[in-house]
Amino acid sequence: MNIIGPDTLVFGVDDVAACNRYLIDYGLLPMRSDDRGGRFEALDGTGIEIAHRDDPALPPALGTASMLRKTIYGVADAATLDAIAEELLRDREVRKLVDGSVESVDDMGFVIGFQVTTRRSLSLPAEPVNAPGAPAQRAPNVVAVRDDAVLTPRTLSHVVYFVPDAAKAEAFYVERLGFRCTDRFTGIGPFLQPAGTLDHHTLFMIQTPPFMKGCEHFTFHMGGPTEVLQAGTRFVAKGYQSFWGPGRHRFGSNWFWYFNSPLGCHVEYDADMDLHDVAWSAREAPMGADASQLFLFQHREKWAPGGPPPAGAKAE
Amino acid sequence: MHRTVMPKRFTSMRLANVADLPDPGARGFDPCEEGRDTLFVVRRGEVLRAYRDACPHFGGTPMAWRKDAYLNGDGTRIVCHAHGAQFDIASGECLLGPCLGQRLTPVEIEVTSGGEIVLISA
Repeated sequence: MNIIGPDTLVFGVDDVAACNRYLIDYGLLPMRSDDRGGRFEALDGTGIEIAHRDDPALPPALGTASMLRKTIYGVADAATLDAIAEELLRDREVRKLVDGSVESVDDMGFVIGFQVTTRRSLSLPAEPVNAPGAPAQRAPNVVAVRDDAVLTPRTLSHVVYFVPDAAKAEAFYVERLGFRCTDRFTGIGPFLQPAGTLDHHTLFMIQTPPFMKGCEHFTFHMGGPTEVLQAGTRFVAKGYQSFWGPGRHRFGSNWFWYFNSPLGCHVEYDADMDLHDVAWSAREAPMGADASQLFLFQHREKWAPGGPPPAGAKAE
Repeated sequence: MHRTVMPKRFTSMRLANVADLPDPGARGFDPCEEGRDTLFVVRRGEVLRAYRDACPHFGGTPMAWRKDAYLNGDGTRIVCHAHGAQFDIASGECLLGPCLGQRLTPVEIEVTSGGEIVLISA
């Protein structure tokens, strides 16, 4: 199953205006933004769709506080789409929608969609770094730091679910849709990679009681760690509430910075995730502060050493 | 040199006037100067309450999604904007979400005849 990753996440929210504003300030590009909702995209066309929770066009809610209504995966081609529909039809309803996509439900009750991916391929440099001993990535006189840097997220990276039965949820994605486990937190859940990408994960699941079922967070890949920190700093300056980070995860090695949001879940900036192919053997570790991050920082207001000389220095 | 700043302690402190708060609405405060809001006052009609800005789900994480944004869209419930947990404004009880059955920690306030909201202890 050549599934590439999530193309779109659909949310049914109670405060449409707040969510629209939030996603624009986060850095996504509004394709549509009005009092009914909107669509907000990264550079490659992946994105987030917002609608009011009472919009009849939305798939049903999960029955918890979660506002996530649907995860739409991009697949490589029409043959993959047909293969997925055929596979899922063996034991569940699969709807063919007017836009040509198919819609069904996973074993935890999350609505999932599949479409021939609409994402555009990107041709952009990574954030360049100069290091002794390595060829310069920035030519002489090219400065790295810019106050006016454009910090648009590049692509929808991954979504994280709270699930009541992580083993059963994992089996569905692995056995039915061809995802692979790249790493695992013992007793918590797996990091899953679909067959059409080398990214460490596009889906992570966390075992929770049933009343928590829903979305823990989603994130977009930025161009590098500086972009994560600079975008997060701008977000804080606009009054948004940091939740966790900035820091760098161990599993996946991705830089992270999580924020609270009006979408009923956290929203993250991430960058520089590991790639893995079939030669990789999944690691396993108990979840905990050490296992989940290499290091963790906390934002503070800008400050600099300096100031007037100490009083004693005024003599003479 | 490292210097530890002890949080300020006090017996009462004026936070705001009731008229300063939208109805419905909320506002966060940082009375101990910890660098972030640690409690919030919420107003809805005649109901005025103060709670610690600490979601019981993770034992103390901040709840607003933006400065003073503690309520849902129509101002009928307090929401933790980490995972969308919803709380009754008057009782602080979690009605939906990850901390179902738990409740927010109330903070003691008084309202003077002039509408001044006074924090009793923090």
